[in-house]
Amino acid sequence: MSGAELDFDAEELAMLRQLFRAEAHDALETVTARVLAGGSARPSAEALTEMMRVTHTLKGAAGTVGLPVMVDLSHRLESALAAVGREPSGWLPATADLLVAVIDALRGYLDHLAEPDTDARAAQIRSQIDRIARPNRRPESQPPAFVEALPEPVLEVAAEGEAGPAPPGPAPWLHVEVGRIDDLMSSAGELLFDRTRIERRVQLLRTLARDLSRTRQTLHDALADDAADEARPGLRATLVDAEAALAGQAALLSQTTAALLDEIEALRRTIGELQRGLTRMRMEPARSLMLHAARTLRGLRRATGATVELRTAGEDTEVDKAVAEHLVDPITQLLRNAVAHGIEPAAVRAAQAKPATATITIRARQDGNSLVLEVGDDGRGIDTGALRRRLVATGRWNAPRAQLANDAEVLEALLETGVSSRGEADELAGRGVGLGVVQQAVARLGGEVTVASAAGKGTTFTLRLPLSTTLAQAMLFKVDGQVYAIPNAHVIDTAHVGAHATSASGGHDTLPVVRLEQLLGHGAAGERRPALVVSFAGKTLVCTVDKIIGAREIIIKPLGPLLAPLTLYAGATISGSGKVQLILDPAQLVRRAYPEAAATALAGLHDRGSSPHVLAGRALVVDDSRAIREAMTSMLGSEGWIVDVAEDGARALQMTRQLRYDLVVTDLEMPALGGFELIARLRGDERSKDTAVVIITSRANPEHRRRARDLGVRALVAKPITRRKLLEALAAR
Amino acid sequence: MPELRNVIIFTVGAVRYALELRWVREVVSLGFVTSVPTAPTALGGVCNLHGAILPVLDVGVLLDGVPGLPARQGDGALVLEAEGMVCALRVDQVDHVASLHESAGDVIDATGRPLRLLDPGRLLHRALELVAGEAERMG
Repeated sequence: MSGAELDFDAEELAMLRQLFRAEAHDALETVTARVLAGGSARPSAEALTEMMRVTHTLKGAAGTVGLPVMVDLSHRLESALAAVGREPSGWLPATADLLVAVIDALRGYLDHLAEPDTDARAAQIRSQIDRIARPNRRPESQPPAFVEALPEPVLEVAAEGEAGPAPPGPAPWLHVEVGRIDDLMSSAGELLFDRTRIERRVQLLRTLARDLSRTRQTLHDALADDAADEARPGLRATLVDAEAALAGQAALLSQTTAALLDEIEALRRTIGELQRGLTRMRMEPARSLMLHAARTLRGLRRATGATVELRTAGEDTEVDKAVAEHLVDPITQLLRNAVAHGIEPAAVRAAQAKPATATITIRARQDGNSLVLEVGDDGRGIDTGALRRRLVATGRWNAPRAQLANDAEVLEALLETGVSSRGEADELAGRGVGLGVVQQAVARLGGEVTVASAAGKGTTFTLRLPLSTTLAQAMLFKVDGQVYAIPNAHVIDTAHVGAHATSASGGHDTLPVVRLEQLLGHGAAGERRPALVVSFAGKTLVCTVDKIIGAREIIIKPLGPLLAPLTLYAGATISGSGKVQLILDPAQLVRRAYPEAAATALAGLHDRGSSPHVLAGRALVVDDSRAIREAMTSMLGSEGWIVDVAEDGARALQMTRQLRYDLVVTDLEMPALGGFELIARLRGDERSKDTAVVIITSRANPEHRRRARDLGVRALVAKPITRRKLLEALAAR
Repeated sequence: MPELRNVIIFTVGAVRYALELRWVREVVSLGFVTSVPTAPTALGGVCNLHGAILPVLDVGVLLDGVPGLPARQGDGALVLEAEGMVCALRVDQVDHVASLHESAGDVIDATGRPLRLLDPGRLLHRALELVAGEAERMG
């Protein structure tokens, strides 16, 4: 099967493979757990069935995402497990180890799909699997390459097409890439900006309501003053009526705006909850960070021969995954620093009656809305006197300042980049090296580093970080000496614009130019400038800048209530050196570039999806492989189906009771409730007795076909599924 | 006559101001001040304070429409918190914390010299008005 047959675009395929990898890791983990649970003894029939079921699912999914070698390998593994199940003598004490080795190799294979030696790896795994299936033969006697013949018969339970009662498995977990949650987070962030915009409009409405009241009052007063004038009674009556109507309308407008403001407040709370919920999804225990530190320290110990041990506390403290990822480097740096410069040589420690084994301690704890990480050593501490002299000698501080500053302030200076990274080959210089990196990484996360040290007792670095962050991709650029950012999702290209151009040609259209050097700076035009092509709500414009810096991952910080009216800015971020950088709101740039279309631009946001698509109906895809569910959703979706998914028959049954489906596409072997059982139940229900059903399976034998016919199944499609096969099945009658 | 306890006295330009200490969250030395184009002159820029964005205000513009020195890195500042808003006031010098007396409508210190007592709520509202007005003007 070739990739071309798959009908997925490259991006989609990559996404599906990513999903498949996560799923495969889980499946393989299940097999390992089953094997290990039995020690070296032969697993129970039930355990073997479960192992075969997950291997089988793996095979189907691998085919659908276009990984033929993986199909072959999981097929072989499934067959090998079947062989072991058939012959009690087929299980040797070494089989368990061999199986675990195969599973590990398979995982390794999946993680390195892009590397050139995959064929060699696959060949090796094949021969390993062979030794499980035929333990008494020599590994050389390999069968020829992959043949599609299915191993029949399989275990009885499997032949029935149902897995029977669900084996006790782990609690259901959902595999979600961090990137996807980040996307959601940034959408939630966008919501926040949207809310601010709406709020501002409503404030305007409120002012308008007040003005309207005032106008009415003026009219009312004029009419009262003029009560005696009976010159034009008709006109007067009209005006009196109009005044009364106006009063009612003004009151209604002001009530409505007040209600709107209440609703915006409710929206604000909901957005806050959404963000908190998403953040919780990204939380992980600090343990993984500490494990990483332990590995790093082991490496350092080997490299330097230092006698040092790691103590940890607060491993269960929850950390935002995004924050944790950015903490790996700073912590590595601090460990390196402690081992290289903090801990004294053994002789010195002995002379001071300190324990021969030095200790590095990492503590994590939550403090309000902050995560606090302490990395401390019990080494020599930092000589603040020497540091004072260094600060003066290098000209960074003057003598009185060094004199007046307390120890904490002096230590703080150590963290600033460049204090002691001047190449002096003494301990002090060494301590400072890399601390700038720590400081920058932590500042970029919106946190702070402090250091405490006691001579002879040790040094502790304290990293205080926000509990969670909103990371986003932004394009950074410079105007008038300051760095600004714009959400990268809206930057579609870069360009160059002539000195006085007010429009630039891009593709087929002429694009308006917003000269940021004039909007944000003192606008000395007169040269060709680099520019960003920005697109928002279907409108594209060109922004000239002084210099394009490039795309970076940034943390979005709110500007706070005082600056909220400045809608040109969507927030701010903090650079590695602690400077505030403003984020421009693309919506406002569009407003400036298309003043007349500003109102319609917002409306345009929402009618993107109004393509004249004909709905085919509502379909339910039932499969225990997420990769297959996603693939089917994509295929059916592009044919005009509204697609829902269920991970097993039981869930599907529940869903069909709540909603009428025009089509059910189901796998046969699933935990909880198998495919045939599901179809039988559907047929027994008045609402779904005529629903079109398509079976997707990799085990299509005549018995299955007969059962399918009896149940009025429209078609039976063999995995791997392609768009063509699916379309044929849907067209079948 | 009421006595005001715990008042911080500071100087901006030639004017001495007083502010009740309960509004002052901390006295800091400003980090790098990023200017905010399109903002009114009352807003001298924004700073990073413990990872949050802190607007730096010019008390002279807010009270009298007369701008003082531009806020720069290293300048002293009082961090105020009132009405749900936080901001920094650039100061030239923080004198001391004292108790004040009111005399014939003027606030005076122990030596009898007059001071301008700041109402942080009004100050921040004035700032918000200016910012909103400028934003409206810019469209």
